Amino acid sequence: MAIPVSMAMATTPTDSVSRVWSMSSLKSALPSPSSFRLPSSSSRRPVTLRLPISSPSLPSFSGLSPVNPLLSIGLPDWQSFENGFKIVDGGGRVYAMRHGRRVPKLNRPPDQRKALLRGLTTQLLKHGRIKTTRARASAMRKFVDKMITLAKDGSLHKRRQALGFIYEKQIVHALFAEVPDRYGERNGGYTRIIRTLPRRGDNAPMAYIELV
Amino acid sequence: MAASVDPLVVGRVIGDVLDMFIPTANMSVYFGPKHITNGCEIKPSTALNPPKVNISGHSDELYTLVMTDPDAPSPSEPNMREWVHWIVVDIPGGTNPSKGQEILPYMEPRPPVGIHRYILVLFRQNSPVGLMVQQPPSRANFSTRMFAGHLDLGLPVATVYFNAQKEPASRRR
Repeated sequence: MAIPVSMAMATTPTDSVSRVWSMSSLKSALPSPSSFRLPSSSSRRPVTLRLPISSPSLPSFSGLSPVNPLLSIGLPDWQSFENGFKIVDGGGRVYAMRHGRRVPKLNRPPDQRKALLRGLTTQLLKHGRIKTTRARASAMRKFVDKMITLAKDGSLHKRRQALGFIYEKQIVHALFAEVPDRYGERNGGYTRIIRTLPRRGDNAPMAYIELV
Repeated sequence: MAASVDPLVVGRVIGDVLDMFIPTANMSVYFGPKHITNGCEIKPSTALNPPKVNISGHSDELYTLVMTDPDAPSPSEPNMREWVHWIVVDIPGGTNPSKGQEILPYMEPRPPVGIHRYILVLFRQNSPVGLMVQQPPSRANFSTRMFAGHLDLGLPVATVYFNAQKEPASRRR
């Protein structure tokens, strides 16, 4: 019975990022698959990648991996060990709450943090799309949006404020020349974050951030 | 972070439009009183008329001048790269383009979005071109490399580029 499963696995689309594949295949092997309500670990993200929870069309399989039914209940970070599909949430400890946490610290003192964010926004505005860690990508959204808002205003004062933040002045001038046409109708949300595979060296969860 | 000091490389003219070359001729371009240096900012209102171009060289050599904009319609999305503004062939050395044959009439820079680079490229011709080349079917999606290959012009002998952006409307917040 392993063969139909492998065929089904081959038909997954290429963006296998954040597919909770192993869950749905396990559910079919367990006695009552329809009663499961697994928490979707990616629902806190603003990126709308739809996960097809509970696809009942999978045939049950046996013997592909020794499954402990206890493990499959309600652990969002359980990594499958079949065929190298990775769950792309990086395997970090997930707490349920974020109470009172206003500023992402990025494991750096404040001056370094500011410099890091300035550098990252400069590079994003220069290249349009960069790959970095997820924490950094979600921390820099605020600053990229802020820079684009300054450019939308376009006055000299705002230009000087932008020059004080972005490291290269050519980028500021190009930004102020382009943004009114490119983002004139869009209100906010000028970036998009796409999660990708973890980094090999330290298994850090990575993401692409791009200007929308 | 300039990997090279050459302003053409820094401005990515070499790479986007041209290949690396060694300048062998001198070309001085003037829009009115303003002399064009690499990367200088020109207002479209001063570039309404074709510039005065002085080309060095012997009068028995023929040159071709092409002016293109690789950042059409916008530098971050150059779908119509390149937009050709002016083509003059059979210019005798030591003179200006008015003595040559204008294949494509001059169109002034009209950058809709962003800061555009406008590149003036000079080629040395091996032989008179005359009627061998006709107007390109459209100004958009022009390729200077292919044009030079088609006329067997080889590498450019001189290049200069300037920047221009849409002049802001008089209302300033």
